[in-house]
Amino acid sequence: MQTNYAQRHLRFGWWSLLLFATLGLTLETLHGLKVRAYLDVSNETRRLMWTLAHAHGTLLGLVHVAFGLTLKSAALVPSALNVRAISSALIAASVLLPGGFFLGGIAFYGGDPGLGVLLVPFGAMSLIAAVFMIARAT
Amino acid sequence: MRRLAGVRNREMRGVAAALALVAAAALAAAIARERVEREGTVTDRPAQAARDGYESSSACRACHPSEYASWHASFHRTMTQIASPETVAASFDNVSVSDVVGEFMRLEIRGQQLWAEFDDPDRVGAGVGVGVSAGAGVGPRVARIRRRVVMTTGSHNQQIYWYATGNSRVLGQLPAIWLTADRRWIPRRAAVMRPPGPPHAETGAWNGICVACHTTDGRPRLDAPFGSRPIADQIADTTSAEFGIACEACHGPGGDHARANARPLRRYWLHFTGRADPTIVRPDRLDPRRSSQVCGQCHSFWEFADAASERRANSFGLPYRPGDDLTATRLVVQPTVNLESAAMKALLADDPAFVRDTFWSDGMVRATGREYNGLIDSPCFRKATDPKRTLSCFSCHTMHEDAGDARPLEEWRDDQLAATARDNSACLQCHDRGTERAAPQERAAPQHVADVDVARAFQARDPSTHTHHRADSSGSVCYNCHMPYTTYGLLKTIRSHQISSPSVKETLETGRMNACNLCHVDQTLAWTAEAINKWYGRPAPPLAPDDESVAASLVTLLKGDAGQRAIVAQSLGWAPAQRASGTSWMAPYLALLLDDPYDAVRYIALRSLITLPGFETFQFDFVAPPQTRATLRVRALQTWRDARASSSRRVDAALLFNPDGTFNAPTVDRLMRERNTRRVVYRE
Repeated sequence: MQTNYAQRHLRFGWWSLLLFATLGLTLETLHGLKVRAYLDVSNETRRLMWTLAHAHGTLLGLVHVAFGLTLKSAALVPSALNVRAISSALIAASVLLPGGFFLGGIAFYGGDPGLGVLLVPFGAMSLIAAVFMIARAT
Repeated sequence: MRRLAGVRNREMRGVAAALALVAAAALAAAIARERVEREGTVTDRPAQAARDGYESSSACRACHPSEYASWHASFHRTMTQIASPETVAASFDNVSVSDVVGEFMRLEIRGQQLWAEFDDPDRVGAGVGVGVSAGAGVGPRVARIRRRVVMTTGSHNQQIYWYATGNSRVLGQLPAIWLTADRRWIPRRAAVMRPPGPPHAETGAWNGICVACHTTDGRPRLDAPFGSRPIADQIADTTSAEFGIACEACHGPGGDHARANARPLRRYWLHFTGRADPTIVRPDRLDPRRSSQVCGQCHSFWEFADAASERRANSFGLPYRPGDDLTATRLVVQPTVNLESAAMKALLADDPAFVRDTFWSDGMVRATGREYNGLIDSPCFRKATDPKRTLSCFSCHTMHEDAGDARPLEEWRDDQLAATARDNSACLQCHDRGTERAAPQERAAPQHVADVDVARAFQARDPSTHTHHRADSSGSVCYNCHMPYTTYGLLKTIRSHQISSPSVKETLETGRMNACNLCHVDQTLAWTAEAINKWYGRPAPPLAPDDESVAASLVTLLKGDAGQRAIVAQSLGWAPAQRASGTSWMAPYLALLLDDPYDAVRYIALRSLITLPGFETFQFDFVAPPQTRATLRVRALQTWRDARASSSRRVDAALLFNPDGTFNAPTVDRLMRERNTRRVVYRE
């Protein structure tokens, strides 16, 4: 079962990396083309939110890869490991954290992001829960 | 093994938690310490101390990044700065400045500190005679002082430097100021419209006067109001919430607002309901009269209602807060309305020439920076009954660049005009609708007749039916006819902010050039009177012979007072005037002004002269000694004469030329003998 989860997170991680690296490339292109909807001072909140989406998505992709490799190396204590819960929490974090930041940057109110940012704390809690469970099993 | 691992994990968590706590404490201490180090230890200059609900702009930045950025780029922010190598526009790196009265002023940088050595301004005035101009070694020797330069004022047009006098927080002003556009030093007196005379010290002026408007919540805190005792005998504990004109100068104290909106739910509730936040003032949401008062608190001539108000302001700062009724705590000077008030009488007893120097005789303000005085006497404000059609500062200006404005902030900040107010759109906000909202009895009023005329013209997309100028010409720009350049300050003229229509009668009565003759500088008043009569049906007033036969600009240039001469001098360098009137005849008149007794007039004349063909590289130092100036004036005339053969020069009698191209010297001499030589001192 651990092998299945390992494969699942390796796949998820690498696809996630591809997605958020592409987002990074897109943001760089917006910089390169000096797109005002992204770079104007009045869009500072959008720039921050989307940069955070890119950063969190990419790093979480790496976390998935690391988790997949950890599962493969069987370095975890099986009795303390609830792989299904960890897997769900990690995937939830990968969707909610960057997704919340991204949505928060689409429509925003001055220095306040859009309501999509409400997803972020749930994503953060999922991530912390997953990391806690992994830490306990090491 | 599991137990050992558990212990290790608990230890690790404890260490991590301890590290996080230490880091947080260090960060908090660093933030708190930075403020204390910067301002808390300062004793020799005014200090920034936010109190009574003020927070400073740094509290606004997180929630209002766009507004913060446009304010940060503005000249409002840089109006007052702490002097450092980064904030001074001039170089202080071992520089000797000769453009001062007396000995050279020497400047140097020591680390992050700026120092200056110069003749003590508080002792120079008594020893130096009238007419002594800049240059090393001129005038008797006076005490030299070496002081640390601690503050700056301005950055857009000029930058003024203030030094710590050593007497509490009292500041003195360096004897030379930096002209930003020309990148040069000039003696302080040359920067303002004042007659020739000895330099005057400005010691204590920052604490007593500048602090009110060049900072946010400024408090002089002199031990007696400024001017009531010699400044050397006074002690100042001057403070302000923030240097420069910051967020809270226009929005009011922001402490309650910042605290209330630390709660995200409240913020989002306000975002979604669009309701006004009662914890802060939004000037653009105020009634037009109150919103304009926010600007008017500084952009106006005003006086304390009584001595008690002045004493209170000295201790606690001015009581006005954005949203208040400005007139409840101050007397805004309106010569046509309150000249007889007790406060005005007291003001005039102190400075009898104040009204005459700063207002035209019909009450229109003639000094820059007091646009509110012009606004409140404008018909678009005074006669307006509908708040949606009432002129306010925000009809044209915006303190934060519009989201759709493509101009870079560096360009926008020059006039802070809204994107929709850079052309005729500004006026068409109201004047494209005629009188459909006016009451029947109002429709017959002259302003509404004109309104219909304007509305028809612009609705038909043919402004020329109203302006009688080509639609694409500068004569069809509303501003040019209704807001001409008749206000002076900071070595230039700016548009009058009292909306008016060109009137020969007003020119005759007040001496203020009308918009027609400021562009058609080659035409007489009679020509203008005839055009206005023909186009708008206003009868031509009786005219003096000179007004019939001599270009109005030249009558004013030769006969007018220093303020009037400055206005004409700038007009001769104005591109639309040059296009409308030609330039081949202008040089001798501008050359004449190169020897004007007023530094400011000479400066403007030179600036206009070098816009003329053949004078682009003409070198002239407007603060040079009189004999040098006279020599250069002759050279300017020679340059003009040399160019005579190569160009088709106008020899109109109205321009005081004889048919053979020579000057009509008798008339020029006569008009100059009739010149208004009264002393003109602008409060700039």
